[in-house]
Formats: sequence, structure tokens, C-alpha cells
Amino acid sequence: MDINEIQNIVEDDGIIFLTYGGFLSQSLIASMTEALEKEAESNDLKMTIANNIFTIFIELSQNMMNYSKSKDIDDDSIKPEGLIVVSRDDDGNYFIDSRNIISREDKDKIEPKLDEIHSLDLAGIKKRYKELRRSGKNTHGKGGGIGFYEIAKRCNKLEYDFKEINENKFYFHIKTFLLEKKEQK
Amino acid sequence: MENLTIQATKYTPEISLDTFGMISLTGKSYPENTFDFYEPMMKWVREYFASSPADETVVNMEIIYFNSSSSKLFFDFFDLLDEVKDDNKISINWIYDEENESAEEAGEDFIEDFEDLDIKLVVK
Repeated sequence: MDINEIQNIVEDDGIIFLTYGGFLSQSLIASMTEALEKEAESNDLKMTIANNIFTIFIELSQNMMNYSKSKDIDDDSIKPEGLIVVSRDDDGNYFIDSRNIISREDKDKIEPKLDEIHSLDLAGIKKRYKELRRSGKNTHGKGGGIGFYEIAKRCNKLEYDFKEINENKFYFHIKTFLLEKKEQK
Repeated sequence: MENLTIQATKYTPEISLDTFGMISLTGKSYPENTFDFYEPMMKWVREYFASSPADETVVNMEIIYFNSSSSKLFFDFFDLLDEVKDDNKISINWIYDEENESAEEAGEDFIEDFEDLDIKLVVK
């Protein structure tokens, strides 16, 4: 590994608030959230955008922790680890990326939700969020099954892809955009 | 029945449950196991209303930010209050900072979902 290369990436891609690749635990997530709070404070971020960043970050990192734990216990290549990056460009837009390895079973759960979110506008996402929260269906694992809708409510745009590693394993990448000029709701 | 207080951590709120009729949650909420974390509170609240609740119960919720499973949990909590509201006087204050739009919106959503509960939005 060349640390200079990492430095170049940081400089080329704007201001990176936080990047972490590795094993995730709840206490680490809490410490990183605390670090994000300090960054937001020193950058005079508006409370709403700051809280949206924290919530998306927590949602994505707890997802990474939980999806990795949930399945394929015998398959130790699916560990509670991944890569998460919070960055900002010169125009004051924020981006939160996460990438981790998931099982096919989890992909089959996640993908339809993300496809649905992709097809909806903000009002539609908020409506679905409330419906799902009320019904309590699709609850699995530790989340309420509404995590991606929570994320979608709090960003302007999200992109995602699944890259096949082998029959049972995929890289799952999700990128969320919090844009300075909020689109009309 | 005894009062119950749970101290805040980096990722869980302070919870204060008082038999004189005061239920308060203050802080952030993103536990690793949300339903396990809140179970003692939910148990206390169920027992409180089943035994000898105060003439009036005030619920103060001041949650700065929270994860989606906490959102679901708060929904379940309001649902519990909704079930006992006919026999009890319950007023709920959803407290937030003026600049915290997402907290305000979360409060508005709960008001829409529980129109028979007395939920007030309170700016700090």
C-alpha cells in the first residue's frame, strides 16, 4: 500500500470527512459518528443536513454490520467489514458511499427495495416508509426493514449496484447524494 | 412500582420513567439491538398503565437523531399509548431544535399516524 496514493485520492476527490475500511462494531460506529459531529460542527453545517449525514451514515454502517452477520455464518468471507466514505465537493455537496460483500440471499432482499425506491419520488418514498413502518412487515434481522427508505428520505439521490463475485457473493455498493441546492419537494 | 432511569450513552438516550406520570426520552437513538434496548422501557410502560397510572401522564421525547429501527420502535411505543389512551389522560411532547427539520418532520409523521393521540410539536 502506498499512503501517498491515498493522499492523492483524498485531494482529487474533494474533502473527505471520513473513510474507513475494515471491521465494524457498534462502538466504532458510535465513535465515527462522534467524529462526524465534530466535523459538522467545525464546518458550521446546518443542523438538518448534519443530522441527515449522521442518520445515513449510521444506517449504512449498521446495515454493513448486520448484513454481514446475518447470513452465511459458515462462510467466513462475509465478515462485518466493508468500506465507508463520507466526502464533500467544492460546491458543498455531500456524498456517502458504502461497499461491502453480501450473500445472494441478502441481495435478493435488498434489490427489490432499492428498485422500488428508485421508481418513486420523495412523496412516494415517504408514503411507503410510513406504510412499512405501520405494517411492520418486511422486518428482518435487527432493522425494521425500512432502513433504505429512511436513507432515501434523507438524501436527494441514491445509486446502487451489485457486482457478482461468485454465485453466492456480491459486492454491494450504494452512493447517496446530499446536494447543496435541494430539489423541490 | 418503582421508577426506572437508564443513563444516556453515545448512541442511546437517557430514559426516565417516573410513576408520578412522567416518561422522558432525551438524546440520540441508534442502538445495535433496538428492540432489546427498549424492552425494559416498554415493559415498564405496559406495567405502569396496567397497575396504577397517574391521573395524567406526560411523555417528553427529545430525540436529536435516530436510526430506522428506533423509528419503528417509537411507532410501537406510540401504538402502546394509543391502546390505553381511552382510559388515561396522556399528553405527548415531541421536542426538537428549531433548526432540526428532520426531527420536526418525524414528529409531524407521528401526529398523522396517531391522530387520536395528543402529540404536540414543541420547539426548544
